[in-house]
Amino acid sequence: MTTPKTRRVVRLLAPLAVLGLVTAACGSDDDGSNDTEPASTEAADSTEPATSDMTDGEMADGPTIQVRGQDFSESITIAEVYGQYLEAEGYPVEILTAAGFRPDNLNGVENGDFNLIIDYIGGVQAALAPDAPASADADEIVATITEPIEAIGATLLDYSPAIDGDAFIVRGDSEASTISDVAGLDYVLGASAQCAERPQCLIGLEDPDIYGITFADFVTLEYGPLLGEALANNEVDAIVWNDTAPQIAEQGFKVLDDDKGIFPAQNIAPIISTEVLEAYGDQLAADLNELSAMITTDDLLAWNTETDIEFRESDEVATEWLEAKGLL
Amino acid sequence: MIGAMAAARPSQTAVPRDIGFFEWFFDPDTWTGPDGILASLVDTVVLCAAVTLVAVAVSVPTAALLAHLRRAEVSSTWLVSISRAVPTFAIAALLVPWSLERGWGFEPWPIFIALFLLAVVPIYLNTYTAIRQQPEGTVEAARALGYSERSILTKVEFALASSLILAGIRVAAIQVVATEPIRAFLGGDGLGRYVRDGFGQNNNTLVIGGIVLIGGLAALTGLTFVALERLVLPNGVRRLARQQGDKTP
Repeated sequence: MTTPKTRRVVRLLAPLAVLGLVTAACGSDDDGSNDTEPASTEAADSTEPATSDMTDGEMADGPTIQVRGQDFSESITIAEVYGQYLEAEGYPVEILTAAGFRPDNLNGVENGDFNLIIDYIGGVQAALAPDAPASADADEIVATITEPIEAIGATLLDYSPAIDGDAFIVRGDSEASTISDVAGLDYVLGASAQCAERPQCLIGLEDPDIYGITFADFVTLEYGPLLGEALANNEVDAIVWNDTAPQIAEQGFKVLDDDKGIFPAQNIAPIISTEVLEAYGDQLAADLNELSAMITTDDLLAWNTETDIEFRESDEVATEWLEAKGLL
Repeated sequence: MIGAMAAARPSQTAVPRDIGFFEWFFDPDTWTGPDGILASLVDTVVLCAAVTLVAVAVSVPTAALLAHLRRAEVSSTWLVSISRAVPTFAIAALLVPWSLERGWGFEPWPIFIALFLLAVVPIYLNTYTAIRQQPEGTVEAARALGYSERSILTKVEFALASSLILAGIRVAAIQVVATEPIRAFLGGDGLGRYVRDGFGQNNNTLVIGGIVLIGGLAALTGLTFVALERLVLPNGVRRLARQQGDKTP
């Protein structure tokens, strides 16, 4: 006998049952994909060799890879590129909304809030091994940061040839051509709060043993387009920004030669929670290294032009690049 | 010599990352000099006071007059309130490029205008409502006694409404003080710099120091208005408020 009450219960439970069936179906699809794998066969047919595809089905079982960028457009696009790439490779991925800067991201990985970040190796050195000597040689920097990164429970993977170096930038009409030339010019310097406490930045610029520049003033500005605007509008005479900023070409700025070599190598490199890395075995590291090797400095500049000058969304820019490279 | 000049470098806070809060806060060097808390405090107080004064000068007479004439009750209230729907930070950030292009610099206009729009809302609304809601009989009685319209507004309505008007100004001033630190993120300084530099340098001592200072100043602003209310409110209004069980002093 179905009383009205039981009928109501059945009606309530029906969607759950359907949901269960769907989930079960999805589950069996996943299991079956090891045998049939129509999607990855297709990928293997396409231009990319895609060595990792054979094991896609197994890898989907690991922990979700949560990637987060820092809160400026280049980092957001990089996080989208890595996140979408891993997703296409069959990993469970969550691309988090970008927030904060390096310290927040390193803390987040250490605390397990997320598990993958892509950072600039020179910046990581300034944060985790501030006493180590800065170097323009990427391998020397990697040697100094490998252990501190392990200490926060993470692993540094291969760095990319793509470099977003710090740059000392002046307006095009400046008479200086090297940073040393700035010493007598009584410039106002604009840079982020981080710069003030770094030997690779303000401390090195003012150090009498290195550049020995005396600035007329130091203006703290949020890292980002505000720096370019301040320079363009004569609020400051020089800024420390990144050399992949598209505003440099657009506004006719000049990057001064770092003749005493205080700016470290700033190749991008993934830093991933060791726990997550080990859960997937060597395949994940191989996949990430493969992607890192494909990104170039010109790509970074192209992405920044899209996002900062043409105001396009980072995720679209990332998708287009991955498609152009045959990675999606 | 160069070292000394570097020490006199303005507009930047760099302290050891592992310094304790009390060690930092009670170090005299933290408070003095062009970089010190006192200089930042003056920056903040001057801007906040200027914003609040201009907001009062603009909103109180306008609202009082419109309320007395019973004009624009819905439209003006709506217009004022809607400006509150846009975040103050967004207004200030949008105004920065505009100000830079005109050669006016980062400060003070973008942050001034944004804070002004923030302050106008409670002052205008409180003034309008307070005067609009004075009992009809009181106003008619004043009119019967031969008061001119101007005297009715200033000596009767305004006097009776003064407690609520001051409360609106107090709310505005506290909001302005608590919001002013966003200027540090838009090329300015003031007390917000400690929060900004603390975030940038991963130094919690500075962040906490900034919060304590901003919170302290906001609390002090509230207390100042309590004292001000004691000083400027007409005795009769204060007595009336007490009788009605109001907490106003």
